[in-house]
Amino acid sequence: MAMKPEEILQAIHAARGGAICIPTMTTSPAWRTIAPDDLSVGCVGFMGGASSLGLGLALANPDRRVVIFDGDGSLLMQLGSLATIAGARPRNLTHLLFKNGVYHTSGSQVTPGGLTVDFVQMARGAGYRNAYAVRDFEDFKKRLPAVLSEEGPLFVELHTGLAEKTPMTDRGGKPFHEQVDTLRRRLLTAAGGAA
Amino acid sequence: MPESIPAPLIIDVLKDTFREARAALAQEGWRQKGDHLGTILSVPDTHQKSVLAALDKEQAIRVITCATEDEAATINAGLWMGGEPVVLMIQHAGLYASINTLRGVAMDGKVPTFYMIGLLSREKDKDPKDSRHSMVRFAEPLLDTFGVPHARMEGPDDVHLIPEYYRLAQQRKGPAAVLVGLETA
Ligand SMILES: Cc1ncc(C[n+]2csc(CCOP(=O)(O)OP(=O)(O)O)c2C)c(N)n1
Ligand SMILES: [Mg+2]
Repeated sequence: MAMKPEEILQAIHAARGGAICIPTMTTSPAWRTIAPDDLSVGCVGFMGGASSLGLGLALANPDRRVVIFDGDGSLLMQLGSLATIAGARPRNLTHLLFKNGVYHTSGSQVTPGGLTVDFVQMARGAGYRNAYAVRDFEDFKKRLPAVLSEEGPLFVELHTGLAEKTPMTDRGGKPFHEQVDTLRRRLLTAAGGAA
Repeated sequence: MPESIPAPLIIDVLKDTFREARAALAQEGWRQKGDHLGTILSVPDTHQKSVLAALDKEQAIRVITCATEDEAATINAGLWMGGEPVVLMIQHAGLYASINTLRGVAMDGKVPTFYMIGLLSREKDKDPKDSRHSMVRFAEPLLDTFGVPHARMEGPDDVHLIPEYYRLAQQRKGPAAVLVGLETA
């Protein structure tokens, strides 16, 4: 049975501590209900950018975990970012792929190759430190502490069903520039406090 | 007549630009993580290859080679949110390739994004708008269409444009670009 994206996000929220999270596409509406905080920034309006946004944040905040919630269609759009991330070797980066085999947000068209595309092999081939697939929620819960702490870059392909909401059925959320501004202020306060 | 700019001069100006940027960030309350002055996000530009070669030997500046210019502009946003100074080095074709990201990340996200863009194949005796090459002709009009402030470096006397347009990107919270007129020496 495919996992429910909302359950995965709930579990991450409970365990994340001070981790920065980067939702995109169908993880966005669920995440802003589950974690209405200011330590997240959503990739909205530049499909495929979640992985690179996460890389920049991870490099700038080496003492903080950064967790990307990528979409499979989105990752296909900027697949080269796997190699860029592996090359930059951010030890604090976790790249989660919510693999549902479709472009859910734009109307559930099947992605090129659909569910047969093996992103784990791609991430391994690119040079991620570790990459594996998770198909079962009990297994995910067991692995979660390591997912949020093991040396990265780490890639986890999560086999999920469709989310309940999409950014099209559930519009809203703060505009991207407000999210950017809020997260930057928050990180500045943390940086100042640690100085 | 335009002239080539030597790589060591550009590197010195980049270092000064990063030092000034670090000082401004410190003023804001950021502390420096790591010992690099700043980060160059590069998708190798043939036009600026002498600068890239010199950067290879430069310890003070971190260079991250990106697979696409979309990545470069987006990584820049992540670094900016964490208080890191960044310069993007790309070529005109990379600007064309990544225009949705310039719009969606740098403009809509109000993220300071400073580009150095090489005008590869630009003829020495021609204004870019009269170039035989579409790649050279369209860069400046495209930046105008998107309202991105830009200036062209036509020789060593113009390197002051680097810190100026870097600062402009920070002030405007958006993209700003310096175009490199001739291949660097
Ligand atoms: C450059 C670009 N091309 C096309 C689209 C249209 N589009 C919006 S959402 C989407 C599907 C996203 O699919 P995926 O990343 O798998 O996320 P999911 O919705 O399945 O969670 C597409 C194709 C877009 N937003 N941007
Ligand atoms: Mg999908």
